[in-house]
Amino acid sequence: MRIIIIGGGEVGFALSRELSRDHGISVVDTDASVRERFENLDVEFLSGSGTSAETLKRAHVDESDLFIACTGLDEVNMVSCAIAKGLGTPRTICFVSRDDFAGTDGGVESIRQHFGIERIIWPEAQLAEEIERIIAAPGAIDAEVFAGGRIRLLEFRLDAGSPLTTAALAALRLPKGALIVAVKRRDAIEIPRGDTRLSAGDKIFLMGTPEAVGQVVPQIHGVQQKQRAQLVTIIGGGDVGFRLAQRLDAASGVELRVIESDPRRGELLAATLRRALVLKGDGTDLELLESEDIGRSDVLVSVIDNDEKNLFASLLGRSLGVKRIITRVSRPANLRLFERVGIDVALSARGAAVGSIVHQIQGGRAHLLAVLEEGQATIVEIAVPPAFRPRALMDMQPPPQSIVGAILRGNDVVIPRGPDQVRPQDRLIVFAAAQSVAAVRDYFGTT
Amino acid sequence: MRIALVLSTIGAFLRYFGLALLAPALVSLYYGEHRDVIAFAGSAAGAVLVGQVMRYRREPVHDLRRVEGLAIVAGSWMLLSWAAAVPFVVAGLNPIDAVFESMSGLTTTGATTMRDFADFGRGVFFWRAVTHWIGGMGVIALFVAVLPRLGIGGRQLFFAEAAGPTDDKLTPQIRDTAQALWVVYAGLTAAQVVALVAVGMPLYDSVCNAMATLAAGGFSPHAQSLMGYRNPAAEWITIIFMFAAGANFALHYRTLRGELHAFPRDEEFRAYAGIVLVSVLLLVVFLRPEVPDLTDRVRHAAFQAISILTTTGFASMDFALWNDQSKMVLLALMFIGGCAGSAGGGPKIVRQVLIARYTLLELRRVLHPRGVLPVKLGGRVVPDDVMRGVLVFFLFYLLVFAASTLIVSAFGADIVTAITASIACLGNIGPGFNAVGPMGHFADLHPVSKVVLTLAMWIGRLEVLTVLALVRPEVWQTSRWRRPVR
Repeated sequence: MRIIIIGGGEVGFALSRELSRDHGISVVDTDASVRERFENLDVEFLSGSGTSAETLKRAHVDESDLFIACTGLDEVNMVSCAIAKGLGTPRTICFVSRDDFAGTDGGVESIRQHFGIERIIWPEAQLAEEIERIIAAPGAIDAEVFAGGRIRLLEFRLDAGSPLTTAALAALRLPKGALIVAVKRRDAIEIPRGDTRLSAGDKIFLMGTPEAVGQVVPQIHGVQQKQRAQLVTIIGGGDVGFRLAQRLDAASGVELRVIESDPRRGELLAATLRRALVLKGDGTDLELLESEDIGRSDVLVSVIDNDEKNLFASLLGRSLGVKRIITRVSRPANLRLFERVGIDVALSARGAAVGSIVHQIQGGRAHLLAVLEEGQATIVEIAVPPAFRPRALMDMQPPPQSIVGAILRGNDVVIPRGPDQVRPQDRLIVFAAAQSVAAVRDYFGTT
Repeated sequence: MRIALVLSTIGAFLRYFGLALLAPALVSLYYGEHRDVIAFAGSAAGAVLVGQVMRYRREPVHDLRRVEGLAIVAGSWMLLSWAAAVPFVVAGLNPIDAVFESMSGLTTTGATTMRDFADFGRGVFFWRAVTHWIGGMGVIALFVAVLPRLGIGGRQLFFAEAAGPTDDKLTPQIRDTAQALWVVYAGLTAAQVVALVAVGMPLYDSVCNAMATLAAGGFSPHAQSLMGYRNPAAEWITIIFMFAAGANFALHYRTLRGELHAFPRDEEFRAYAGIVLVSVLLLVVFLRPEVPDLTDRVRHAAFQAISILTTTGFASMDFALWNDQSKMVLLALMFIGGCAGSAGGGPKIVRQVLIARYTLLELRRVLHPRGVLPVKLGGRVVPDDVMRGVLVFFLFYLLVFAASTLIVSAFGADIVTAITASIACLGNIGPGFNAVGPMGHFADLHPVSKVVLTLAMWIGRLEVLTVLALVRPEVWQTSRWRRPVR
């Protein structure tokens, strides 16, 4: 496949590195000094503007199969997609970072028509949504939703007193509609069976319908947690922080504080948010954090656009006693480091966006939904071919280290047990360890 | 300030105001009160004539300066009240009482200096109602609506007179806005006339009372106000229309245009409804010894709370005789007033809402010194200068109230009379307690007190700063009007 990437920044580089082994990549950037970074990769680097038809012709846009615009400027991205479409590229992906365009009448559909953009990726918005999901599941370390919210995946660490550690899984009688798809013990992922017995310190992955999952959550922690508003502190009111604050401000059961250093931005936040308390100051100012008693927060979200400051603010929060800390990481390379020094959840907006594009290109029939535990496990969605012979799950031998977590059949969601059948045209939500993804794809993808 | 320009503009208003004096002349003619016919016709002719003389140096009003706008508005209200007072003098009031009565009418206060209603003809009471009705939506607004060539100047005048710190225009052109508001106002008045006649009130009384209700005025042709009709249905109808008169007319207009959410979405209206609800509940509890029957008690509580809050000043009972805790509720309501853009007077609910929020935010600021805490109304941030204007308004309001109270009590009134007479006049409410209660009158006060209270009504109606700004010496540095350079 021939792919043209406009913009040699963080996203452009990550995409090139992931895709250059199997595909022909041309990177276009106005800044010639970026070229150095790409010299170790097998890519063509063109210096010039993505909005110049002449530059795009030099990159042979008419012979390309995919066009990705990921500069830091929304307008440049949109215009270059429109020009490339006019010059004959079949598919375009456009990165945006502001909501100016998402708000237009007709939404994504109108943007597609007017600018010839097939897919809009808005990493900051996706990140804000993801952080909100994690906050909305108190006690959970991580949370994902699939199938438009009809299926939920939560990650928990079991405490010593948890009722789930009292018996083997089969004897726990979890409600129908909820399934423990995996257990992580001592860095190894394991698919539990009926006779598996959970123990304190295990990380469990719980999948199911929102109702059923809601019934299980109280059983995970032994002591009944009293229902009070979660105190959430957001450090940084930029694109991600503002969006997240808007969503949490509207949610009940959340008491919100936002710390922003730019006075004008702070005024905008205070004007827009209805309930939240906006504080003017630096998130790394210990005196401010102490006088506002930030240590009392249930969740601290640090989303400044600067990894060093984020890390520092998060560590200050940890030392003040904040229970859960979610931090934005701009450079995907820092992800592991952050989690190693004690940040509960480190998230990279661009990293997730890059992952989803790579998967879109290489995935085929299977569609990647989420990557868990730094790539040790994935959630994939697989379309069962029309010629598939219907069989009950217990009669099938799927690859090891994988489990069908949910079956989407039309508008129905089935959280399967042994006797449930897999039928043609079903879509399966499968949890699989990284090494078995390919095998899972082959197994369910063939008749 | 160009005096000639100001005088000629006021003269234009006076000419048209003269025409309004013909309406009571017709009523007097119908009822055969010949002395009053001549009084009204003569006053009308006089007003037109004086207006014509003032108009002698005719100036186009297209580059009005701010100070001239204020002077025109304040001067018009003062001069028109003098013109309106002439028939009262003919009818037997002394000049000070007559100007008090006409200012009370135009500013929709409803405080009276008439000792015995039997001394006056029906035309006179009709004229009191007409002054209410013209003043209720604002004389300038009326002129802006009907006079074709007021031009750009009309816009400044309209807002200098407008009630409350809002500038919600319904249409891009100020003339259309003024017309729309007057149409709603006239329509509601007609509706109340029909309703009152339907429950058995005579047509003449229905018209007078309806005009006094929609204007949030309070002059009734009956000496005992609404109480005198002994008609509970009429009282309920009046309660509903008083409540409507105390709400923002722009919201009435938008509701009639099909925006059904206009009222419930408006924060000031919600506060208005909440204040009415709480005060009615309090009165229902406190009035148990006064009115044993529950349905009567609810009606009187609602009538009196809404009448005082909207600054109408009608009475369904002699509330000056109520127990102290009930009177305290009414006294508190006197300091709140109606909604901005309504016919009601007082400091306006929106200002009180803003002051309350500002105060509460200061409490929060003590705890969070680094917090960004803007005052918001309807989801939007209130700019600092608007907030400062509101606070300054309220300070001046209290200052005028205190000054008036001191003077009125210095000239012999007891404390309750002095306090309630001052707030009732400054807030354009009408009756107070004790000597100036709803069944009493202001005639026995010292003449100096009456002059001060007349000024208080004027200052209160024009929202204090419009008038007080004219005290500044630079206002009176006159500059000659020059023909524009072409």
